[in-house]
Amino acid sequence: MQLWILLLLPLITCVGVAFGGERNARAIALGGSLVTFAWAVVLAMQFPHWQAEQWLYWPAPEDNAFPVLPGLGIAIELGVDSVSLLLVLLNVFLMPCCVLGSWVAIKERRREFYIWLLVLSTCVMGVFVARDVISFYTFFEASLVPGFFMLAIYGGPDRREASFKFFIYTFVGSLFMLLGLAYVAWQHAEQTGNWSFAISDLTTFAPTLSAGEQGWILLALLAGLAVKVPLFPLHTWLPLAHNQAPTAGSVNFAAVILKLGLYGLYVFVLPMVPEAVVTWGPTIAVLAVIGIVYAALICWVQTDVKKLIAYSSVSHMGFAVLGLLALNPLGLQGSVFYMLSHGFATGGLFLCIGMMYERYHTKDLREVGGLAFKMPVWSFFFIVLVFASVGLPGLNGFVSEFLCLIGTFTAVPGAQTGYPGVLGPWFAAIAATGMILGAMYLLYMTGKLCFGPLREPADHHESEELPKDLSLREIAAVAPIALVCLVFGIMPWPILHAVEPVAEAVLKPYPALVEIHFEKLDAAAKVSLLTDTTLEGSR
Amino acid sequence: MLSAIAHTALATVAMAGGGDSSHGLPAGEPFGFQVPIAPVVDEQSFALAAWMIWLPVISAVLCGIYAALGVKSRLPAWTTVAALAGSFVIAAMTVSKLDFAKPVVVHLFDWIDISWSSGSGSAGDQWHGLRANFALYLDGLSAYWILFVTFLGTMIAFYASEYMEEDKGTGYCRFFAGVSIFLFAMTALVLGENLAMLYLGWEGVGLASYLLIGYYYKKPAAVAAAKKAFIMNRIGDLGLALGIYLIWLEYGSLEFGVLFAALQSGASGAGQYDGWAATLIPWCLMLGAFGKSAQFPLYVWLPDAMEGPTPVSALIHAATMVTAGIYLIARTMPFFLMNKASGGHALEAVAWVGGLTALLAATIAMAQYDIKRVMAYSTVSQLGYMFMGLGLATSFGACYHVLTHAFFKALLFLCCGAVMHGFGGQLDLRKLGGIRRVPGWGVVCWTMLIGSLWLSGVPGSAGYFSKDEILAQAFITDGAGFPILGWIGIITAGLTAYYTFRVWFRIFTGPTHFKPDDAHGHDDDHHAHGFHPHAPGLRINLVLAILSLGAIWLAVGYFVGDIWGTQVWIKNAIMHSSAGTGLQLMPAGEHPTLFGFDPHTAMYFVSGTFGLVGLTIAWWLHCANRKSADDLRNWLTARGWIAWLPRAMEHKWYVDEIYIATIRFPLWITSQALYMFDRVFVDGIAVNGTARLPKIAASIFQPLYNGKLQGYATSMAGGLALVIAWIVWVWMRGSV
Repeated sequence: MQLWILLLLPLITCVGVAFGGERNARAIALGGSLVTFAWAVVLAMQFPHWQAEQWLYWPAPEDNAFPVLPGLGIAIELGVDSVSLLLVLLNVFLMPCCVLGSWVAIKERRREFYIWLLVLSTCVMGVFVARDVISFYTFFEASLVPGFFMLAIYGGPDRREASFKFFIYTFVGSLFMLLGLAYVAWQHAEQTGNWSFAISDLTTFAPTLSAGEQGWILLALLAGLAVKVPLFPLHTWLPLAHNQAPTAGSVNFAAVILKLGLYGLYVFVLPMVPEAVVTWGPTIAVLAVIGIVYAALICWVQTDVKKLIAYSSVSHMGFAVLGLLALNPLGLQGSVFYMLSHGFATGGLFLCIGMMYERYHTKDLREVGGLAFKMPVWSFFFIVLVFASVGLPGLNGFVSEFLCLIGTFTAVPGAQTGYPGVLGPWFAAIAATGMILGAMYLLYMTGKLCFGPLREPADHHESEELPKDLSLREIAAVAPIALVCLVFGIMPWPILHAVEPVAEAVLKPYPALVEIHFEKLDAAAKVSLLTDTTLEGSR
Repeated sequence: MLSAIAHTALATVAMAGGGDSSHGLPAGEPFGFQVPIAPVVDEQSFALAAWMIWLPVISAVLCGIYAALGVKSRLPAWTTVAALAGSFVIAAMTVSKLDFAKPVVVHLFDWIDISWSSGSGSAGDQWHGLRANFALYLDGLSAYWILFVTFLGTMIAFYASEYMEEDKGTGYCRFFAGVSIFLFAMTALVLGENLAMLYLGWEGVGLASYLLIGYYYKKPAAVAAAKKAFIMNRIGDLGLALGIYLIWLEYGSLEFGVLFAALQSGASGAGQYDGWAATLIPWCLMLGAFGKSAQFPLYVWLPDAMEGPTPVSALIHAATMVTAGIYLIARTMPFFLMNKASGGHALEAVAWVGGLTALLAATIAMAQYDIKRVMAYSTVSQLGYMFMGLGLATSFGACYHVLTHAFFKALLFLCCGAVMHGFGGQLDLRKLGGIRRVPGWGVVCWTMLIGSLWLSGVPGSAGYFSKDEILAQAFITDGAGFPILGWIGIITAGLTAYYTFRVWFRIFTGPTHFKPDDAHGHDDDHHAHGFHPHAPGLRINLVLAILSLGAIWLAVGYFVGDIWGTQVWIKNAIMHSSAGTGLQLMPAGEHPTLFGFDPHTAMYFVSGTFGLVGLTIAWWLHCANRKSADDLRNWLTARGWIAWLPRAMEHKWYVDEIYIATIRFPLWITSQALYMFDRVFVDGIAVNGTARLPKIAASIFQPLYNGKLQGYATSMAGGLALVIAWIVWVWMRGSV
């Protein structure tokens, strides 16, 4: 029930927005999102498994399943574990900030805008709290619709292309994901005799499938999830969509929508197809590493600041994927932490850029810059968020990056951690060059935008509704995010502790599988050595 | 598969790096050095120690609040000075209670603390977890460092309260907030109980350096320098980070206490990457140290960092932050010794890189006209000596040179700053002269003379003693070409004396002339009415005097060490920490000799002579007979075969240009190409092309694909209907 209320609160607010009149739309939306936030905080306080020894969902499924078609095993089931609750909190935390950030920027069709924003919030939370495949998929797909409209109506000049690409690309990808999930459900029905779409049933069943089948399922799931993550080379919708979206849209896309992909990897891929993950993990990790370096280099030559931040998301999410594939608790916890810290840091950066855009109507680094003197408060928050993104220790970005990389580094056979892995130092070492490149492009951006002599577009005139520097409303939107970045950087352990049992449970089958994997490799190597006498005895 | 290849490849690299894959010692054989480990966790008597870190934090926050409130007084300066002085007093109290043989760990709060039970159980019943908490590790080395860091921090903040006077207001708050952040990060770096906290401080000082170099953020050069400093440092940080990962991989801990215990018992790592610990860890750490401490090939950021306000140059880029690399290697010395024991060459590399950087930077410093740049290259050069000392395993010499250098280089920078401040930002030594006779400049002149003498290593000065500790060691320690390295160091000592006194003689002696910097000539009135320098005030002079007294104390303390106890104290502090392990491995008994003397004795004469010769040449060319300097220059430029030399030295051997041409520009081109590739190929051909495929293939069904959303919506609805029909059918069949 609690989770239903969580999902319904934004929808109820939508009704209020719809009937509250154009002028009051934003105030109602703000109120509604604050209430949702408050409710989520209440849920977080009720949530009993923060310090659990085991991985547990809350509320327990038997209390919370709502049968739709019992004969087919279709039941709507909602529940949260610590990871999904944290992601829900990320979403509801950013929602008021988004509303405040769009306060003046959205001048026309306000009601519609806030309705889409709130619907988006519900859909995204729906994905996080869904405990059955049907509702997961429904919310996953449904989140495209509000995203599409926000892009298509309120976006920049290329909004048409951006919105279509965003919609079709992710939609087509997730059809494959549906196919994969349907196959698992079908096999489950074939072999056990009864249909079930509960994630818990499917995840316990799927690992019994053969390695070949698992490979295909992995491919199908990745088709949907890798687009969302996004993984190189499936990322091209993202720079376009993030760049063209209105501020609130960019914040949401970067902070929350991207997390859907990673969350899907964590909730489906890791538990369902462990054998395939062990086999194909290095391949996916190679894509992630390529993405890190490739996108970071591209960032460095951008002149459009929103595009720069959009590409930086591609680079950053590569770290999170690596952490997930490290198959040890360090990497997994780092990856979960990455989802949160990237959400806050990049979301905050987009918010800041939106505030700058409202004043100068350009995102071109060649046209605007040197704002530190004119907008010191804005620059302060911007720089804090930039350094959170750079991964400066003491801010949240560092903890996640450090854990992901150290996890990847130690993902070697026979690791002391007790969790052997299939990646290893090379992956981490190459990915770690992203640290240097990240500093390069983010400081290039900061140097242009904040420092140097003041540069303003030729036709710039001071806005009447906006003060020169940030207004209190804007500070209220961005300051909480900056504060969270700092608090998470100094006190990451509550979150890390909450994720610990989840990590252990998810990774339970892996050490044995990885060892088998390496034994097989060794056997294969021996066979090939025997055929070549010159190499004999070199091992 | 891929990872299997990678593993093999890396194992090969590891073998190439260290001779053989397992270290030369039998497994479990202790390396023979003793580090006081078994840290005593003492929260009671060291409860105050935490305030060493927190006071700068509080002052940074307060400065931020002042900025928000628009405070226009000297409040931020006094807040910072008070906080840093408090930090110093607490450091002194803490250190006085400390027994160097018993390091103390003071736990502040949990930071990263992850634990899990063993996954496969294959690793036995070992405890698994990554623990990196906010905790202080108090031993001789950190005590030594924290004392001079907080002392110089206090002094320089006091100096800056006058120096930055013109910026009172937001800039003043920003400056002192930056200084406070720096002191926080530096104390965290030095006192950190684990490598993650060291890394926190490491990056934190990088941030402070970035913010303070870019203090004059309207100046493009300052912004570029700040960015360059941060990125060059990040390259080094990559090395440090990889080193930390490797240490974690091998030893399963990041805490110094645990690591030293493991190393002392001869553990050379575990798991498949057995040989790596001994071979690769020191190289990775070395890269980090070279980045932060501005050694070749990563030194180019430091001279540019002079764009920052001079107190920053003195504090961060001369006295404290740049010594972090020395601290890192001193702290992790056991890893380097393990490398040496297993036949690796990491320590030799440290010594050689240090020695060559010292020479390279000294040659550049000889031909610079900007006095702050001369001092910057001199810092690079002196840091090179310190690394040489570490590489020669005389941690005492290296650390002692850190201290003496911190005093005299801070002093020199602050003098340069006073000159710059008083003469309208003028830094060009050709445009200043005879300042000695300008009223009010006496203190600056004579304290700078002390600084110059100390830097030159003139006999009897502190720099002379600390440098000799290092140089003599080159003729004692056994290693690849160390005697040659020693001579390089001695020659560099001569060059050092020359360039240092070139500055001093040019600025303070000869006919009096000066004019303000062009960029600084704010209003034309000044030029019209003639420029009036303003002499430094009480605070600047006071700080200069205190620092020169400190420098003198260090020199005198060396003579009468046993009476004052300074020398004994420092030796104790270094020897009883991880840094001192190097000397424990020194072969006892006969030293090799130099000219038939003990190298230490011989060095007093040799390096002293070289220093005096350099000084004399500087005196001749730049004081007694300035025309001869011009003659020499003309003579050199007229001869094609040698004319390139002064030019190359003046242009810093074109290292920046080489980096731009070979790294930055190709990388930029690659990035542009990748961006093009991303748009044209990945997005254009692959994605859009695929998207068009069905359209082309299904041109027969044209009406269905009319490109309008309603059309797609219809097909989606149709598809959904099919799915529902299928579900209903299955359900009916199931229920029948």
